Amino acid sequence: MVMACRVINKRRHVGLQQLSSFAETGRTFLGPVKSSKFIIDEERHDSVLVSSTMRLLENLDLSSAVGQLLSEAVQAQNNAYGTGTSTLLFLAGAWSRAAEQCLHLGVPVSSVVSVMSEGLNSCIEAVSSLQIPVLNASDHADDAQTFPGLHSHSVTFCPFLPIPADTGLVQKENDLGDASPSVTISSLPGRPVKSADLLRTQSKEEADENTSHTPQTLSNSLRADTRCRKSVLIHSRHFNRVGENQWTSKPDGFLEHQRVATPRTHKCKDVAELEAGLSHGDGSSMKLVDAAAQLQCLKAGVQRGRRAAPGTFDISGVFTCCLPGLPETWSCVCAGYVTVVSVSSAALIEELQSQPLRVTLIEGDLTENYRHLGFNGAAKVRTELEGVAAHQARSEVLWTDQVLQVLDKFNVKLVLVRGSVSEPLIEKCIRSKRLVIGSVNGGAMQALAEASRAVRVAYITQVTEDCVGSGVRVAFWRRVPAGVDRVSSMAVVLQTEGMDLVTAVLTGPVSAQMQTKEDRFWTCARRLHCALKEQKVFLGGGAVEFLCLSHLQSLVGQPVNKGNQASSGGLPYTSSWLASSLALHRPTVLKCLARGWHQYLSTLLCNTAHSSSEFEASAFIQHHLQSATDSGSPASYILNEYSKLNSGIFNSGISNKVEQIPRVYDVVTPKTEAWRRALDLVLLVLQTDSEIITGLGHTQLTSQQAEGFLLL
Amino acid sequence: MSRLEAKKPSLCKSEPLTSERVRATLSVLKGIVASCYGPSGRLKQLHNGLGGCVYTTSHSSALLANLSVTHPILKILTTSVQNHVSCFSDCGLFTAILCCNLIENVQKTGLMPTTVIKLNKHLLSLCTSYLKTEACGCRIPVDFSSTQILLCLVRSILTSKPACMLTRKEIDHISTLILRAFLLTIPENAEDHIIVGKSIIVPLKDQRVIDSTVLPGILIEMFEVQLMKILPLKKSGSLKVALFRASLSGDLSDTGEGTVVISYGVSLENAVLDQLLNLGRQLVSDHIDLVMCQKVIHPSLKQFLSMHHVIAIDRVGVALMEPLSKVTGTQPIGSLGSISPSSYGSLKDLCTAKFGFKHFFHLIPNETTMCSLLLCNRNDTAWDELKLTCQTALHVLQLTIKEPCVLLGGGCTETHLAAYIRHKTFNEPESIPQDDGYTQTELQLITEAFCSALESIAASLEHDGGEILTDMKYGHSWSVQADSPSVANWPDLLSRCGCGLYNSQEELDWSFLRSTRQPFPPQACLPCGAVGSANNLTLDCFTAKLSGLQGAVETANLILDISYVIEDKN
Repeated sequence: MVMACRVINKRRHVGLQQLSSFAETGRTFLGPVKSSKFIIDEERHDSVLVSSTMRLLENLDLSSAVGQLLSEAVQAQNNAYGTGTSTLLFLAGAWSRAAEQCLHLGVPVSSVVSVMSEGLNSCIEAVSSLQIPVLNASDHADDAQTFPGLHSHSVTFCPFLPIPADTGLVQKENDLGDASPSVTISSLPGRPVKSADLLRTQSKEEADENTSHTPQTLSNSLRADTRCRKSVLIHSRHFNRVGENQWTSKPDGFLEHQRVATPRTHKCKDVAELEAGLSHGDGSSMKLVDAAAQLQCLKAGVQRGRRAAPGTFDISGVFTCCLPGLPETWSCVCAGYVTVVSVSSAALIEELQSQPLRVTLIEGDLTENYRHLGFNGAAKVRTELEGVAAHQARSEVLWTDQVLQVLDKFNVKLVLVRGSVSEPLIEKCIRSKRLVIGSVNGGAMQALAEASRAVRVAYITQVTEDCVGSGVRVAFWRRVPAGVDRVSSMAVVLQTEGMDLVTAVLTGPVSAQMQTKEDRFWTCARRLHCALKEQKVFLGGGAVEFLCLSHLQSLVGQPVNKGNQASSGGLPYTSSWLASSLALHRPTVLKCLARGWHQYLSTLLCNTAHSSSEFEASAFIQHHLQSATDSGSPASYILNEYSKLNSGIFNSGISNKVEQIPRVYDVVTPKTEAWRRALDLVLLVLQTDSEIITGLGHTQLTSQQAEGFLLL
Repeated sequence: MSRLEAKKPSLCKSEPLTSERVRATLSVLKGIVASCYGPSGRLKQLHNGLGGCVYTTSHSSALLANLSVTHPILKILTTSVQNHVSCFSDCGLFTAILCCNLIENVQKTGLMPTTVIKLNKHLLSLCTSYLKTEACGCRIPVDFSSTQILLCLVRSILTSKPACMLTRKEIDHISTLILRAFLLTIPENAEDHIIVGKSIIVPLKDQRVIDSTVLPGILIEMFEVQLMKILPLKKSGSLKVALFRASLSGDLSDTGEGTVVISYGVSLENAVLDQLLNLGRQLVSDHIDLVMCQKVIHPSLKQFLSMHHVIAIDRVGVALMEPLSKVTGTQPIGSLGSISPSSYGSLKDLCTAKFGFKHFFHLIPNETTMCSLLLCNRNDTAWDELKLTCQTALHVLQLTIKEPCVLLGGGCTETHLAAYIRHKTFNEPESIPQDDGYTQTELQLITEAFCSALESIAASLEHDGGEILTDMKYGHSWSVQADSPSVANWPDLLSRCGCGLYNSQEELDWSFLRSTRQPFPPQACLPCGAVGSANNLTLDCFTAKLSGLQGAVETANLILDISYVIEDKN
């Protein structure tokens, strides 16, 4: 084994260049209007339709060292927050160009690193003035009939990009709103209840009794209690003004800060407004998320015998089920768990659907040769046959009979299996009027287990009376009209008392778009979850980025304050000469960093077709930047522009019903973390000076390649 | 028919160090390690060029573990550094750079290896005896009644690894956590000799660094959400614990080469399961509350145990076995046969906790010197580096307890030591044994080679074209921008010395490291009180650095002593 070592930091930094070219591919994903991309594999003649950063990177060849770091960073962001990946990708590209420019200008690497990270820290501190507390002013049950933001306008508006690209969306969503059952789910008396009626909970008393048995739900209600206590004043509109004083005393301190900075207090008052603001142009997904949140809340409330406020949104209790090939208007949210079964059991489901069923939950597969995880059976066991031929086939039959015996003994009508199920068994079960469903989600199993008091087992032989749950109902998700009915599978809903699972059923005629639909749903869900959890949001639509830009510009002008700098995350090694020469390079580096924000904003403007060219976008930003600087306080300038939004100055041409234009919001921590991750990635690559490739023989290097290598 | 092939003769190379190729590879290796050194050190991307895992690091242990070197001389060097790192965790790069520098400098003198080795040994013993004296000017005693020095030490280690990607605030947070974790591992009632416990680092990736935390006791990750619903425990006192090393998954024992023939109707699996259930019955009758297993527990056994209100935790993993057996006082059980009651242990409490997206069992022992450091970082690369660095810091704190003093960092120890040795050999030559058959000139030459090897360690801290000065009073190291005029107004150009102890306003004289200067006796640092008040010092671990110094000189001597490399070509 020979090892080669390549110096990558000579004049032009290869790593930074790679990073910026990778990032360029995701440019059009920035902003509310995302253009999809086809990725074509020339060798295999495959093509994939992608419209999110995650899916894009999944389908690109990222085997190079920098590519791997990039996909690692994007995946980490996606795992943690499920949103902000496009921001991450774009900023990684913009800042890698910025870092490269600094190198060209002769700024030492260490200075670039410390000034950039100090600059971003300072930006993150500065944008806290654009945080808005989320108040649960709406008592959700009262507001259930109106979602002004979502119904009238589902498209993103923001002060800096007022015109959305396709206004057709609005029309479409209005149609959707009428047709979809999702908005009509509600238990208010006299309201139409469509899909949820067959699963309606029967009596509050019974539900209460249920909850007292399981410690899990008990702790749930405890948690809800504390939540209600905290927000009891805020829920009521009448006490709202009193509530404000309470908020100012919150330890976060952002509200006080904001009060000083702005003449007007901004608040996100109700969940509908919040959702509209967080939808970022994807109204249809957000509407489903909203329905899911409401339904969850309603179920949780019924379970506890009182109405609960939508203060939280627990995404672990939300599932998605994709049904390609059905009309888009059928997308909806259902209480319970929706899954797909083979059409052959249709008759059986018809028969079973009116009664509560006894259920068994199987972890793993339901096949003869399934063994639990970690089991290594010795392979060298041979059974001495006693003149019985076709032993293999017989053992399968024997096993199937055994399973049926167990099911019969405990009168189990429904078997839910996490893994796969053997085909002959399914058929035999159908004959004996038992329904077996495979590939059930683990989280759903858990919820079903809790609600039906079943215990999950690995093998059918483990089943005892204590393991069998009861009270589970199965139903068709929706009567499919005769014309569409030629598919081999169909959706069923599993429901039980006291289970607050919610499933979003996503339908669409184009199966290539299903993945995108699902991703979008989850992005919206994660955003709402995060905003409600943090109880604060940013003003969106480029406002925070704009403040960062203007903040950095003001920093460029400020002299370095030595004492201040040590505390604000500058150089960790204050004794080096770099610390004293920092003042020299600081403006240059900050300007480059600011250019990253500038590129971000102008790309945003171009992507939303607000500006026809980079130049126009740039002029637009420059104009506002100047005004912001002139106003003396950029933060209050931005807040003022936001207030003007309601009086229609920016968008007089778009809508006459100015009251209905929703504000745009962004989630706080995911956004700032995406910035940090992007910068971390750039700085990691910037500080790398050589690439060491192990196991590379001399023979593998052509003489041309070998030029840049040192051999060890 | 077998065929015999004549053996190839062995290949013998004399004076391997004189070969151009060896010199070139040595200098590449030196370039790699020296460019990683210090807080502004550059990172290295290590990968196999075939899409394998990419490591981005400047940590010596990660770097050397993944380097594959071929030449025996390089192998000696890397092995000895790895050996040092495995014993002391810290100062791996220091050792490697010093060793490369020594070999390079000594070769330039062209002296006989025997003389060189002898003189190196003398100089080394001069260094070590100086460092061990109370009067040593570059070491500070550690006052365990305050956290200041210890915090500085930890912070210095964290800042020296830029791939951890920490901001100033995060460095402070992690330093405090590390110190707290370390303090939790020290038993409360110390007797004659204390046995320090262990901090277990628990990964929690993709979260914010600020979310990291320290908990006393042990955290075990929960794989199944079902286990969240822990049955209500008996309230009375502690839990009785059994810990299994053997797999309880119902595996059949390995038959090796042969085949087991069984008659029809006999199921080996059922037989093993019966055995497991018998074991379960014994556990229940012994009133065990908690069963833990390194490997998998059979689902049926789990079900049996949970029916009898026994909590079962499986897939604990081999890394946690020793700490678990220590805190609970159990003997890990290795067989399914009868269990002696003496192998059971106890636990004060068990609860569940959720951090990020992960659920954990939190085991709270009766009396503990074990703690869990839940470490978060934004991405895998930075997390891996942070983990290594935290392990180093924890280890360094343990070493500091044994030898309660620290060395000045930031290159100051090296320049100070070099100044001391120069002063000794030039002004007090009697401090070195005279009768060993070398001339005074040879002594001067080797001293120069040795001292400049030490000084170039300080110079390795510079990666952006700066230069190093040393003052003529304390012998500390100061960094300055390149191309500064040589008769500059130094007090204005400089700010503080490398370790942060002195500032430039103290009326000192400076000279470039590369220029020659009159040997002077370096003065000892300020009295203790003044040191205590100085904040933000850069400090190094005493034991690790001392041993790194010894290791480097001895390895260099060993390499210089090699006159033949004999290679078996078969």
